[in-house]
Order: sequence, then structure tokens, then C-alpha cells
Amino acid sequence: MEEVRAYIESGILELYVLGQLSAEEQREVEDMAAKYAQIKEEITAIEIAMETYAISNAVLPSEGLDLKILSAIESLKAPEEIPSPPSAITEKTVTKSVQTPLYPKANDSRIRSLKIALAACAALLLISLVALYSAHHELSKVQNQILALNRQNQSFAATVSYMKQNTADLQKLADMPADPNWKTVKLAGTKMDPAAKMVVYWHTTGKHVMVDNSKMALPANDQSHQYQLWALVNGKPVDLGVFDVKPDTAHILINMKEISGAQAFAVTLEKRGGSVSPTMNQMIVMGGVSI
Amino acid sequence: MAPSKKISLSEEDLVLALKSRETIAIQALYDMYSGALLGVISRIVPQQEIAEDLLQETFVKIWNSAEQYDASKGRLFTWMMNIARNLAIDKVRSKDFRNTSKNQDIENNVDFIDAQSRVTFNADILGLKDLVTALKPEFKLVLDMVYFRGYTHVEAAEELDLPLGTVKTRIRMAIMELRKNFN
Repeated sequence: MEEVRAYIESGILELYVLGQLSAEEQREVEDMAAKYAQIKEEITAIEIAMETYAISNAVLPSEGLDLKILSAIESLKAPEEIPSPPSAITEKTVTKSVQTPLYPKANDSRIRSLKIALAACAALLLISLVALYSAHHELSKVQNQILALNRQNQSFAATVSYMKQNTADLQKLADMPADPNWKTVKLAGTKMDPAAKMVVYWHTTGKHVMVDNSKMALPANDQSHQYQLWALVNGKPVDLGVFDVKPDTAHILINMKEISGAQAFAVTLEKRGGSVSPTMNQMIVMGGVSI
Repeated sequence: MAPSKKISLSEEDLVLALKSRETIAIQALYDMYSGALLGVISRIVPQQEIAEDLLQETFVKIWNSAEQYDASKGRLFTWMMNIARNLAIDKVRSKDFRNTSKNQDIENNVDFIDAQSRVTFNADILGLKDLVTALKPEFKLVLDMVYFRGYTHVEAAEELDLPLGTVKTRIRMAIMELRKNFN
């Protein structure tokens, strides 16, 4: 048998007898030995050789050790049977010498397993801490992201509402030409500021009055002043409210107070909040309603 | 229990007696193998007193776990030998052993030399004396490390700085040599 010879020559049987194999390899050898008598014989031959080698390297025990060992084993046997007559002096010492090594050993292994458990606990704790830390780290990263997204969202929302307002205003402006009741009144600069101009829309039946920010050419007002729109009704000025001129105004159209009939519109620069009657030398633009 | 005459039994009878818990089995085992087992233990634990305690522990363990011995898996001596060697290795690795050997360095050496001198080549009786010396030194070294001193063949390869394959070959060659001489 080629296979059997190759197996024998691999040297695994020697390692088997010397107790050098893993449990799995041992089982393999045992299976092979059960299957092939030749392998079993080979193992036995190796065992006998090692046995002889061990015997030829023997160290003689001290005299009396055999008695000590035999009575140790007798004393192990004793509880099972009728206690044999106390065998000489050795009985006590033997029982002691057999049992004492057992206890520290058991303790040792218990202490060892406790130590392993402790080490495992410590390792787990460490891993948990690391996991917790990294989770915390991730969480704060995510929180920051949420905050950033929120800010973005808000700015989008602001943009959207700005654009909605714009669209609505533009829609209104686009619809105006179709409605004959909407009057567009162009106000031209006075001698206070000849370059100034602006546009007012007035709905004659609905009485709405709106100022067009996009067509406004007035100098920006400061914190303590505001522009005030007036309607001239039969020669008398009627207050239509105040408005600001800022470089970054969001709205295109500004709604003013309603008026049912007017011949002209004018704007004066007044103290913040407006005045009861217009300060005539502060009139900046004026324009008549063309019918 | 008179130790005056040595008892010797056939392997089958020994196993049978041991498994049926007859003390005579231990007596026979002691007479036949105590020297060989103590030889193995002494090479791992040179201190005579500790080695003999371990020999006693070995016999107690043989007695207590006799039912675990499976004759189909190998000879009785191989099994006993493994018990003795494992107990000795466990002892050497145990904490209390390392602690005591730290305090007893000098004594250890004395014991070690003493232990060496106690190696009795009762091979003389068997007519095997020359065999041990006939073994090539490099074969003997590897075999002794693994068989007597409790090294694994992997550890022996590391210690000797040899490839694992070489160590395995040397073990096999050494045993082949032994078989040639013994048969």
C-alpha cells in the first residue's frame, strides 16, 4: 500500500506517540490506525522504542517512595471500602501530602479564571468606552450637520418667501395694464432734487395706492427721517402714509393708505413717523393724475 | 505491600487490574516504570523532592483516571508518560514553583547535578548502554528536548533555530535509530 507507506514515512506517527499533535490530527491518526493494521503496528513499534528509551534513561526514586505512593492510593480507595488497618506511620503524612497540593491547584485555576474574567471585563469596558466616545463624536458631528442644514433651510425659506413676494408683486404689475381702473402716476423731481422720480399706482375704484420700489429714484433716508406720500384732493393734502428708501428693500410694491379721489400725488421728507401736514420745502417729487 | 520482590505483569493484565481498581496494578506499575517516569519528570523538574512529589501525583492521577485510558489508542506507558510529563510541565509553569525556584538557585543547581548523577543506566542490565551514546548527537538533542524536556517540536525548532521540517526529520531518524538498536 503506497498510501500507507507514505503516511508512515511522513513522520506523523512519531509526533503522535510523542504527544505533539493537535486533537484533530490525533483523531486522524487514530482513524488511520483503526483502518490499517500496518499503521497500528508501526505506532506500537514506535511506542515500544520510546518506552525502552525512557527505561534506559530511568532515574531511580528514593527508597520508600513506593510505600508512600501505595498508601496514598490506599487512602483514596479507603472511603469506598472497609477502612484497611492503619498502615504504619505513613498514613497521616500521606493523606496530607496527597491532599495539600490539590487545594492550591484548584484555587490557582479559580484565581486564574477570575483573572481572565477580570481582564475580559476590563477589555470590554475599554471597548465600550471607545465605542461610546466614537458614538459621541459621530453624534456631535451629526448635530453640527443638522444645525448647518437648518441654517441652509432657513435661508432657502427666506429666499423662497422673498421670491414669492416678488412674484406676487410682479404678477400684480403684469395684471395692471389689463385693468383700466389702475392709474400709473409718474412723480417727477422738484427743485429740491431734480433727478428724483418715482411711480405710484392707484386703483380708482378699489382705492388702493401702491408705491413701486423698483422704479424709485429717491436718495436713501436716514434713521430720523421718512418719506411721506400725500394725495392732493381738491387742493388739500391728505396723508397716505410713510415709507423708507433703502438700498436692499425686499418688496417691489409698498401698500399705502387708501384714497378714493385725488388730482395729484406728492412726497415730502418728514421726521420719522410722518407729519400731520406736509413740510412744503421738503417736497421732493410730485405728479398729477392724468385722466 | 512488601517491596522486596518486584512485580511484573503483562500489559493486558495490568490494564485490567488498573481498571478494576486493584492496588496491585499500581504496585506493578511502580516496579516496572517508576524509574522511567521519574527520569522524564526529573529532566523537567530537577529538584529531587519536587520530582518525587510529582511522581506520586502521577500515580494518583493514573489511578483516578484509569477508566479514561483507551488501549486501542496506544500503549499504557505512552499514556502514563504523557500524564507525568504534563504534570511536570504544569508544575514548572506554576507560580509557586517559579517563586520558590527564585529563592533556591544554588540549591537547584546542587539538586540538578545530583539528579543527573542519579540517572541509572539500567540499560546495562538490558544490554542497551551503548545505544544511547550511539545515537547521533544532533538526533539525540532534538529527541530529548521533545521527549524528555517538554518542548513542543515547534518550540524545539525555534530554540535550535532549525526549520520545522528538519526537526521532524531528526525526530523520525532518531526513533528509527532507536528501533534498529532495540529490535
